[in-house]
Amino acid sequence: MSEQTIAEPAVGTSTSEPTYGVPISLKKLTKRYPGTKRAAVDAVDMEIPAGEIVVFVGPSGCGKTTTMRMINRMITPSDGVVEIDGKDVASLNDTTLRRQIGYVIQQIGLIPHLTIASNVALVPKLLGWDKKRIKTRVDEMLTVVGLDPAQYRDRYPRQLSGGQQQRVGVARALAADPPIMLMDEPFGAVDPITRGRLQEEFRSLQLTMKKTIVFVTHDFDEALKLGDRIAVLREGSQIAQYDTPENILAAPADDFVAGFIGEGAALKRLHFEPVSSIPLEQATGTAAGDISVTPTDSLHQALDLMVGKGSTTIPVVENGTTKGSVSVQSILARVGRTHGGSHAGSPS
Amino acid sequence: MTGLPFPEWLSQNLADVIFRTQQHFLLSIYCVALAAAVGLTLALLTYRSVTLPNASIAVIAVAFTIPSVALFGFVYSITGNALLTFIPVVSMYGLLPITRNAIVGLQSADPGVIDAARGMGVGSFRMLWQIRFPIAWPVILAGLRVSTQLTVGILAIGAFIGDFGLGIFGFNALNNLGSVNTGNQALACVIFVAAVALVFDGIFVVIRRLTTPRGARV
Repeated sequence: MSEQTIAEPAVGTSTSEPTYGVPISLKKLTKRYPGTKRAAVDAVDMEIPAGEIVVFVGPSGCGKTTTMRMINRMITPSDGVVEIDGKDVASLNDTTLRRQIGYVIQQIGLIPHLTIASNVALVPKLLGWDKKRIKTRVDEMLTVVGLDPAQYRDRYPRQLSGGQQQRVGVARALAADPPIMLMDEPFGAVDPITRGRLQEEFRSLQLTMKKTIVFVTHDFDEALKLGDRIAVLREGSQIAQYDTPENILAAPADDFVAGFIGEGAALKRLHFEPVSSIPLEQATGTAAGDISVTPTDSLHQALDLMVGKGSTTIPVVENGTTKGSVSVQSILARVGRTHGGSHAGSPS
Repeated sequence: MTGLPFPEWLSQNLADVIFRTQQHFLLSIYCVALAAAVGLTLALLTYRSVTLPNASIAVIAVAFTIPSVALFGFVYSITGNALLTFIPVVSMYGLLPITRNAIVGLQSADPGVIDAARGMGVGSFRMLWQIRFPIAWPVILAGLRVSTQLTVGILAIGAFIGDFGLGIFGFNALNNLGSVNTGNQALACVIFVAAVALVFDGIFVVIRRLTTPRGARV
């Protein structure tokens, strides 16, 4: 009896080499609820590339969560197919499938009567790992999400703050090293400062994990921060635009997308432009105070620092030596050039 | 007309009092066990439905309002056997707190906990025994505790139809109102029924201590 798996090492072999993501494709995926006129998710086609974070963003009730939940069959599709690594998920047993897909939700849902260690060990236990391996893995995962195992292992969920609980939620989802993660507004219920920190850490974690991640949010800024690609969805989970954050900001497909981006698209785009993307000017003597940027910092940071100091130029410093400077003018020129002069209303 | 002082009466009837106390104690256990078996089964069968939990609680609650004296008499007229009347009737009165608490307890798990567990591949059997049931346990235990107190009390009323337990002292006291030792008999009934109830309560405190995981303690 061979248990079907999505990717061979999903049951885990070594703890040092993570299982990388696999592609997911949605084909005419549809969910109709009885007694409703319009389908909640209407024949969605989408290719989610391996190892990327794809963010579903859209207004409440647009069907983004429903679409995500059909991937691990928490919701059974009315029509259409979900393929993971070319394999129809309907061909797998539901629990077998779900044990290979990390799942993080806004409510976190840690099991209250189990310790943090037992919560993280949930899926490895279901998969029948031996005790020693589970213990090693739990400590490893707690460390990965920034919780000291010695301190937190034996605590109970209620003894942790919301941010710490969601760290455990992420550790639990990653414990069995699934190739895919589904995350439904995972950082939605924590305070803005903690949310920012969790987003940063998650982003850098993904650099080494390279999981395929489907991330649902209604917060476009969060989508910009985390997404390799963003799918802007309108009612019925219809894809209004599916592209990289840079391209969506530079050329919103229509008024709906432009409306969703909201104010300050040009400024937001500067987040994605490193200082090194514009030609440096000679460092002038007008450097104001102690501010400086590195070539890898974003133009947004550079502009922000200049605005903060009331300066029009900022020195660019790399490894302690000044390479030159950037000015407000050059950043504005950059914005003008990539902007192409036109804005929303010209779908192409 | 005053009978013996209570300590003296007690020492003369000690063997009988001890025997009846034990009998009362054991009968309570049987009745609560039966009520628990029926109540928990009912809860497990209905907790997931929208309408059944309220319907079953309503039916049990109506049955609960039947005067126990009348029900003892009615059931005895059918079974004709004291013990076969005793245990089912007393159990029925213990059913309400057990069933209601078990249903509420099983439904009390945070939907987020259930969703997350399901999403990670916890099957329905595991969900019930490893997640829902432990979360419900303190509430179920509280139901069993209330049910036990009720059972101990209603068992005493059962003396109307059979010579079991401590109720017979109270019954005799009422029957022979005004004769010498009625006060002593009534007092023995009150004191020892209360003692049985207190012992059960102590047992439940210990069980709760031992079986509630630290994370579920309020």
